[in-house]
Amino acid sequence: MSETNTRLLVVDDEPIVGKRLKQVFGKIGFEVETYTDSASALAAIKDKSFDIVVTDLKMEGIDGIEVLKRVRAMNPGTRVIIITGYASPDTAELAQKHGVFAFLAKPFRLDELKQVIYRAVETDRAKE
Amino acid sequence: MALRDFLKEFFVTRWFTPNACRPLPLVFSQFREVLKANNQALEIIADMGEKLSGEYLFDLRYVESTVEEMIVAMRRAIAAINILTQDQCAVLHEVFTPMESRVRAILNKRDDREGPPLIWLAEVETRHWPLVGGKAAHLSELLHNPRVRVPEGFVITTRLFHDLLDANGLRPEFDRFEHLLSDHLPDEEAVEALRRLLHEKVLRAEPPSGFLESLADSLQRLASVSEPTFFLAVRSSAQEEDMDFSFAGQFHSVLQVPPQAEAVYRAYLEVAASLFGAKAIRYRRQVFPEGGTMSIAACCQHMIPARASGIIYSVDPMEPGSQNMVVVGALGQGQAVVEGQVPTDFFKIAKGDSLQIVERVIAAKHESLLPTGEADGGLAMQAVSNDQAEAPCLDDRILLELASLANHLETFFKRPQDIEWTVDPLGTLYILQSRPLLITESAKGKPRLYEKLEGYELIAADAGRVAQQGIGAGPVFWVENLADLKDFPEGAVLISHRDSSQFVQVMHQAAAIVTEVGTPASHMATLCRELRVPCLVGVPEIMAKVTPGEEITVDAEDRRIYRGRVVELLTYQATTNMDLHMAPEFRMLRRILRDVSRLNLVDPLMQEFKPEGCKTFHDVLRFIHETAVLELVELGRDDRCLPGGMARGLDLPIQAGILAIDIGGGIAPDAPRDLIPFSAIRSIPFRAILQGMLFPGAWHQEAMPVSFRDMMHSMMTTPQDTLSGQYTGHNIAIISETYVNLCFRFGYHFNIIDAFCHDVERDNHIYFRFLGGATDISKRSRRATLIATILEAFDFSVKTRGDLVIARTGNLVQSEMERTLDILGRLIGFTRQLDVQMTDDQAVARYAEAFLMGDYGVVADKR
Repeated sequence: MSETNTRLLVVDDEPIVGKRLKQVFGKIGFEVETYTDSASALAAIKDKSFDIVVTDLKMEGIDGIEVLKRVRAMNPGTRVIIITGYASPDTAELAQKHGVFAFLAKPFRLDELKQVIYRAVETDRAKE
Repeated sequence: MALRDFLKEFFVTRWFTPNACRPLPLVFSQFREVLKANNQALEIIADMGEKLSGEYLFDLRYVESTVEEMIVAMRRAIAAINILTQDQCAVLHEVFTPMESRVRAILNKRDDREGPPLIWLAEVETRHWPLVGGKAAHLSELLHNPRVRVPEGFVITTRLFHDLLDANGLRPEFDRFEHLLSDHLPDEEAVEALRRLLHEKVLRAEPPSGFLESLADSLQRLASVSEPTFFLAVRSSAQEEDMDFSFAGQFHSVLQVPPQAEAVYRAYLEVAASLFGAKAIRYRRQVFPEGGTMSIAACCQHMIPARASGIIYSVDPMEPGSQNMVVVGALGQGQAVVEGQVPTDFFKIAKGDSLQIVERVIAAKHESLLPTGEADGGLAMQAVSNDQAEAPCLDDRILLELASLANHLETFFKRPQDIEWTVDPLGTLYILQSRPLLITESAKGKPRLYEKLEGYELIAADAGRVAQQGIGAGPVFWVENLADLKDFPEGAVLISHRDSSQFVQVMHQAAAIVTEVGTPASHMATLCRELRVPCLVGVPEIMAKVTPGEEITVDAEDRRIYRGRVVELLTYQATTNMDLHMAPEFRMLRRILRDVSRLNLVDPLMQEFKPEGCKTFHDVLRFIHETAVLELVELGRDDRCLPGGMARGLDLPIQAGILAIDIGGGIAPDAPRDLIPFSAIRSIPFRAILQGMLFPGAWHQEAMPVSFRDMMHSMMTTPQDTLSGQYTGHNIAIISETYVNLCFRFGYHFNIIDAFCHDVERDNHIYFRFLGGATDISKRSRRATLIATILEAFDFSVKTRGDLVIARTGNLVQSEMERTLDILGRLIGFTRQLDVQMTDDQAVARYAEAFLMGDYGVVADKR
């Protein structure tokens, strides 16, 4: 599958997450930008639109739910996926309410995230 | 031990133990408890192992909480086996305690503080790795590699480093320094001030008490294997050095050190202080921006009198896709090369089918770094005669030997290598260091990898599951049985139907492994992760899709297999595979798993298979499982312990004389009380065996003609096995829905099959024992060999002694278990009376061949 035009932004305060996702999705042709703090990630999103945003939930400053809200406000077409080591039904529900595309508990298989992202790309295409 | 004594030990001691007469269902339920507890621990270990495959994202919190769960599960498993064996395994508690504290030391980042201050390089084991540092760990691995020559020596460990800090009152400063480095934005002035202070104080540190004496002993030992005059090279081996990061040139080395304790100690201090060198700290903060502890060891090795030295890169870092290696070298010691002090010769060697020197640039080497010749050591630049200066530093023979060694080391360590070599005046090649070669991707024209891949033929997509991530390419080599392994060529891709922990024999030579069945939780998968062999398991029908010898590329990241050598993927791998191992959570998990998941007790038939032989958590669990199985095997042997009135006859078309004792779910509830038809057998493993016995032609009904001599033998040799009470003359099957213990106790031989089989493959096992016969020992032994040959062909681990065969297999998916049990059923029928026909050694091969070809009629024909 070549996803030539898919733009992906990753924000997670653990550098490994961005690095890994850049590797995995860069290899299959995504354009990937990674950030370890949410403020710079949001600044980047303001500058240009991304098809998909993958964000950590717990981060210093602006947390994942806030990232989700702002991204959805700026560009409702962007799919937001939250990844977290602290999954609770409450936060999942809150994220649902704000239009999260998917909610993934760490640790997870990269393949699972890939499938979720493929699904996001497909639903996008279907809409077009 | 004579066979008779062996048998006595085997049967008599077990036979009369009072423990043997516990109620069957109780023993069986205790056995299931052991399986359950064992499984839980194994699942946690497998889960942690899988995280290391590179397929997952996880954090430190996961590592900490999982280790706690794992320790609890281990304790539960040890308790369970002691209930089953009535405290026969109490020693396991003592065996496990130090293992547990070692793992906790890793969690608390203290594993570099516990252990000996000095250790011989050749005696370094994996558990010592945190103590000896990365470089020494690699060197010790190389020492065990027969193709590589490494100078002898010993390691001053990180334990000594910590003792040194404590003895000189430097602990508070050291802790403060480490703490500062892990700060997000530390006070830079404070960092620099502490760095200088530690550097200076370590340089002047006093030796911990008794250390100089121990050092003198080590030097004495080294002297006893040296030339009368020798010197040492004292080189850094920091904890992370060479493992995932090169730290190339960041720490200090002291060369040509005279072999006196005081001099070596001074050299060591220079090395230890270099941990706090400005350069090293800068590099360290770059690669570990999030901080993390670090300590330093020193390798003290023989100094090789060098004719020439240099570096070889197993991949040309300038053109990673080119299939070329690069060598640079100069006359004399290599320090001048790595520090760029002298002009060097340059060679390029193409890998291809055979190695070929494709480029030579010979420099005028008018100086070389050589020993001063003084008794107190040291090196100095010295002039080189003109004709020597213009000649290549290496002749073609040594150059090609070096290249072939570099190729080997790349396959051995599974990534491109940066290797330091030296050649002595006799032309003997030594390896001083081999570390991962860092290749940085060229910024311009970043390749559109996925577009390039479209040009290659895809053999399999979404193929199976990842056991270890990575990319490997090479010619296909089929392994159909374990004997094939001995012909495994360097750099090949291993393709097999099933996985086997025995593949470990060739993992260092394998570019990748692909199996048709198997799981990422198997022993083999664990070993693949440990040795970083890219591996896909459960790839259906791959054997039909590739032919031996053809080149393929296995992408065990995206689960794809390509025909041919996909240079772009290999380049991609060479430029990216470092990142992953960088994260602190990965490093910690890997250290923990080194103490947890490695399996040393692979074969229950080996000598060390006892509690004291357990070195890791996995060994303990393996021992527990095997002990539990053996406890069950004994169930059916002493029929005085079997419950009366529970045995029920079977209604089979063959006269197998089997009585079944159902201890839960083995027989359909509506089956007749006696003469149970095959269709009412619910026991999965028993049904599979019966299926095999009933296979057309497999069961030979007629009695074989037994000679008078054979008959005499049988009367003298069989009583141990047939002494029994109420069920004399019957074969007994103790069964449940998932279990069978089938004991053939009549006739002239004795045969047990004990098997557990359900949908959790890790629980599944088959234990097979065969003994005796009616004929003389040579015929019986031939039959034993025949049985062993056939079982080996079906991947059993087999041991024979005279006419005794013990074979085991397990960890197989249910369908494979049933298939294997079916084969055992046929084998029972096929070999039942075959010893009579085992008149010569050729008969063994003939009958084995016939059985494997499915020609069961050969027995009847012969008659």
